[in-house]
Amino acid sequence: MNKGLISKNRLLILGLFLFLLLGDFPAHGQEKQRLSLPINQYKLGNGLQVILSEDYSLPVVSVAVAYNVGSINERPGKTGLAYLLENLMFQGSQNVSRMQHISFIHRTGGDLNATTTEDKTIFQQTVPSHQLALVLWLESDRMKSLEITAANVEQAKEALIEEIHHRKATEPYFESFLTFDKLLYPNVAYGHPVIGNEADVRDLTVEDVKDFYATFYTPNNAVLSIAGNIDKTKAEQDIRKYFETIQMGQNIPLPPSPTPSDKEATIIAKESLAPLPGFHIGYRIASPYSQDFYPLKIIEYILLRGLTSRLYKKLIIRSRIARSLSGSIEKRKELATFKIFVSSSNEMMAERSKRVIFSEINKLKSSLVSEEELGKAKNIFKMDYLNQYATSADKSVFLAEAFLSKKSLDHLPDELENYLSVDHYSLIRIMRRYFTNEIVLDVKIK
Amino acid sequence: MNKGNRIKLTVILPLLSLFLWGSPLLSQERFRKSPPYPEPLAELKLPEIKPSFLTNGLGVAVIQRDGLPVISLKVIIFAGESPSLKELPGMATLTANMLSRGVSYLTASQIEEIIESVGGNFSTYTYPDYSVFSFTFLEEFLDNALDLMSKMMLQPTFLRREIENIKRIMYYDLHEKNKDPEFVAERQLGRLLFRNHPYEKSTFNEDVIKNLNQADLVSFYDRYYRPNNSLFVLTGNINLQTAIRKVSRYFSTWRRKESEHPSLPPLEPYDKEKICLIDLPGAKDATIYLGNIVSPLRGQDVFPFVVLNQVLGGTHTSRLFMNLRESKGYAYYAFSELDFFKNCCVFFVKAKVRPEVTYPSIMEILREIEKITKEKIPSPEIEQAKSYLIGNFPLQIQTFDKLSSRISEIEALGLGEEHWSKYYENIMLVSSERVFEIARKYPLLTPVVVIVGDRNIISDHIQEFEEVFVYNNKGILQYTIKKGEDE
Repeated sequence: MNKGLISKNRLLILGLFLFLLLGDFPAHGQEKQRLSLPINQYKLGNGLQVILSEDYSLPVVSVAVAYNVGSINERPGKTGLAYLLENLMFQGSQNVSRMQHISFIHRTGGDLNATTTEDKTIFQQTVPSHQLALVLWLESDRMKSLEITAANVEQAKEALIEEIHHRKATEPYFESFLTFDKLLYPNVAYGHPVIGNEADVRDLTVEDVKDFYATFYTPNNAVLSIAGNIDKTKAEQDIRKYFETIQMGQNIPLPPSPTPSDKEATIIAKESLAPLPGFHIGYRIASPYSQDFYPLKIIEYILLRGLTSRLYKKLIIRSRIARSLSGSIEKRKELATFKIFVSSSNEMMAERSKRVIFSEINKLKSSLVSEEELGKAKNIFKMDYLNQYATSADKSVFLAEAFLSKKSLDHLPDELENYLSVDHYSLIRIMRRYFTNEIVLDVKIK
Repeated sequence: MNKGNRIKLTVILPLLSLFLWGSPLLSQERFRKSPPYPEPLAELKLPEIKPSFLTNGLGVAVIQRDGLPVISLKVIIFAGESPSLKELPGMATLTANMLSRGVSYLTASQIEEIIESVGGNFSTYTYPDYSVFSFTFLEEFLDNALDLMSKMMLQPTFLRREIENIKRIMYYDLHEKNKDPEFVAERQLGRLLFRNHPYEKSTFNEDVIKNLNQADLVSFYDRYYRPNNSLFVLTGNINLQTAIRKVSRYFSTWRRKESEHPSLPPLEPYDKEKICLIDLPGAKDATIYLGNIVSPLRGQDVFPFVVLNQVLGGTHTSRLFMNLRESKGYAYYAFSELDFFKNCCVFFVKAKVRPEVTYPSIMEILREIEKITKEKIPSPEIEQAKSYLIGNFPLQIQTFDKLSSRISEIEALGLGEEHWSKYYENIMLVSSERVFEIARKYPLLTPVVVIVGDRNIISDHIQEFEEVFVYNNKGILQYTIKKGEDE
C-alpha cells in the first residue's frame, strides 16, 4: 500500500513553556488498573515452560521461544557466543536446511524476529493462525537438532566480525558506550558487549559453540509463549508432539554475581565517530524484581521520557545546551542501572549540561513532584506498558519476558497498578537511596 | 549472504547423513521429517467501514476493537500537497504542521503537555492527496483528546513566531534528509514521474519553505479545513453511537464550506527509459529507484498487479531479492512496491547495491521485469504470492494505529471495499493468465531510473548507459553524460 512515495513530512512538536494546569485529568490510583490478558501456563515433562494466551480478534498467531541465556552467560575469552548462536539458529537443523526457517515463515505471509540481549535470547514469529503447527515444527527442530558444522560456524563468525567492524566504523559513540559499560559493570560477564570482542570471536571453536548450545538451548532453559487465535486443545496436542521428546539439559550454570562499579573516567574519542563532546552518567539502582523498581521507573519517565520531561525541556528546549539526550533504565538480570547520555556542541556546554542534570536530580531528592507531573509521567508510562501487548507478537514476547523475569505470572495482572500507585513521597525516598554514587564517563574529542 | 557455503553444504549434507546412519539423530519421529500441513485458512471478519455524517458534513467511521484501553483517532483532511499553489509547494505540509503550534488560549507547549498527559502520541502526515492527523491516547481521555483536536481544527492561531519556528524545523529536517539516499532517490523519482502535475508539489525541497507566509497558510486552512472535507476514523473499544455523540459535542460548531477540488489531470507514463544520477558524496552504496506511472489502475486490473508486484519484489523470497541478493550477491536488498494515489499508481523497484555493480544490477532488474512480460509466471508461484498476500493481510492491521491508517488510506483515496472486505476474494481470483495480461498492458519496461551514490565511485560503473542525466538534489538538471564521452 501507499508507503508515502513522496511527501510524508512528520513533525514532532516541541514545547516551550513549563507551566500548565491540567486539572481536568483524572488522578491515578482511584481505580485499580488490572491487565486483562488470559493466560494458561504449564510445564512439559522435559521442563519446557508453555504459556498460551488466546485472542480471537484476528486470524493471527505469534510464537516466541525465549532461552534464558545471553551474553552474561559467556565465560571470559568466549564472548560473542550467544549472539553467534542466534545467527546459527537460522543456518539449519536436522530437517530444515539453511535459511529455510526464514523462507517458510515468509511464504505464509508471516514475519519473524530474533533478539539477543545481555540476559536473554528470543526468537519470535507471527503467522496466519492456520500455520501454527509449521512454527512449532521449525522451532522444535532447531531446539532439538541444530546443525553446528565447521562451515556454518566459520560463516557465522565471519558475519559477526564484519558486524563488529561495521558498528565500530559507523555508529557514533559506539566505543564510548562500550567503555561506559565496562565502568558500570566491572565483571567481564556483565560488562562486555553482546556482539562480543573480536579476538574472542576469532578464537571460538566448533566445540565451544556445541557446548554452549547443549548447555543453554534446552527445553528446561526455555519458555514457549503463544499468543493469538489458537485452538487450545489442538495447540496443546501439537506442542506435546513437537517438544515433549526433546531431551532436557543438565546442570545449567548460573551467571556470576555482579561486582560494584568503578567511579569515573574520561575517554578521548576519535572525532569521526564522536562528532561532539559529551558524557555518560550512570547509577546502579535497585533490582528489577524489587518493590523499589516501581518508583524508579516513574522517575525515568519524569526525567527522560517525552518532549515535556524535565531533562528534555531543560537541556534541549529551553537552554539548548545539549544537542542530544538519551537515557533509560537498563536491566541485566538482577542488575539495573539508570543511564543518561548527552552530547553538546562544546565541552563547556557539556559541563553545563552535566550540572543541570545533577541539579535536577537534587531537586527530586528534596521537593515533591506535582500531582499533574506525576499523573502525566504515569499516563505516558501506562501507554508504553500497554503497547507491550498491542499485537500478538508483542504479547508473546511480553509473556515470555515476564516469565524469565522470575516474577510469578499470577501477579502479572497487577503489575501495571504497582507502577501507577507510586506516590510522591516514595519518589523522594528512592531518589535519596539510589541517586548518590554516580558513575561518569566524559567523552572528549581528540 | 555467502553463496559459497550453501553450495558446500549441499555436498556435505549427504555425506554427513551416511556418516550418521544409525546414530540417535536419525532415529527421529516420522513427523519431524517434513513440515506439517496447514489447517484450513481461518476466517477473517472485517468490520464494515461506513462513515456516518454529522449535519455539518463531517464523516465519522468507527472500528470497534477491544483488548486495549486505547483509542486511535485519525482526522483526515481531503487535501494534501496537490492543491497547494503552484509557486508555493509545501503549503499543505506547513499548514498541517501549524495546527498543533498554538490555538486560542493554548500555546504550542501547552498543547504538547496535554498530548503527553493523556498518554498520547500525535503526528501529522501530508500526502499528495490528503493530510492526516494521527492521535493515539488512553481511552479514559477521549473527551480531553477530542477537545484538544477540536481546538486544533477550529481555532488554530497561525502565530508568525510559531510559523518561523516550524519553518526552521522543516528546513533543517529536509536539509538532513538530503543525506538519506532512499529519501533523495524516492523524491527524485517522484519529481520526474509527476513532472508538471499537481502531485509534483509534494516533492519540494528545503529552499521553498522560506516563501511561505501566514496569509498563505490561513487561506489554505480556510479553504480545506472544513467538516465536509474531513473524515474521522476512530479505532478502539467504542461504538458508533458514542463516537458520534462525542464528536458532535466538540465539532458541531465547525462550519461547512464548499471547497473546490479541481479535477486532477491524467498522468502520462514514460515511454522511454531515462537514467538519472544524483551525486551523494561519501555514500558507500548505490541506491536505485526505478519505476513508472501505472495509470489508471482501477477495477479488474488492480489485484493481478498486486500479485505481480508480490512475485517480482514483494518480499525476501520474491524474484528480485532471490536474484540480486541471494544469487548474484549484488544487492543488500531489492524489492518492488505499488503505491496508490487518487489519480494513478506508481510501480517501482528499489534496491541498494554495491556501486561497482550498478549497471549489471539495473540490467538484472530490467531483465526480471521483462521476463514477467514475456513468460507467464508459473501457477505455483502465483499461488505462493497469493497465499503470502492473504496470510499477511491481517498482520498489517494488528495495531489500532495501523488499522486506522489502512482505513484512512482506503477512504481518502476512494479505494473502497475492494481493498477491504473483498480483498481476500479479489486476491484469490487472480490467475496466472490475468497477471500475464496486466504485465503486457502497462509500461513496465520504460521506467525512470534514479541512481543515488557517490559520483566519483559510481561514474565508472554506469558508462554502458547511452545517456545519464545528472541532477542535483533540488531536482535541477546539471548535465548529461553520453556514452563514450568524458564528463
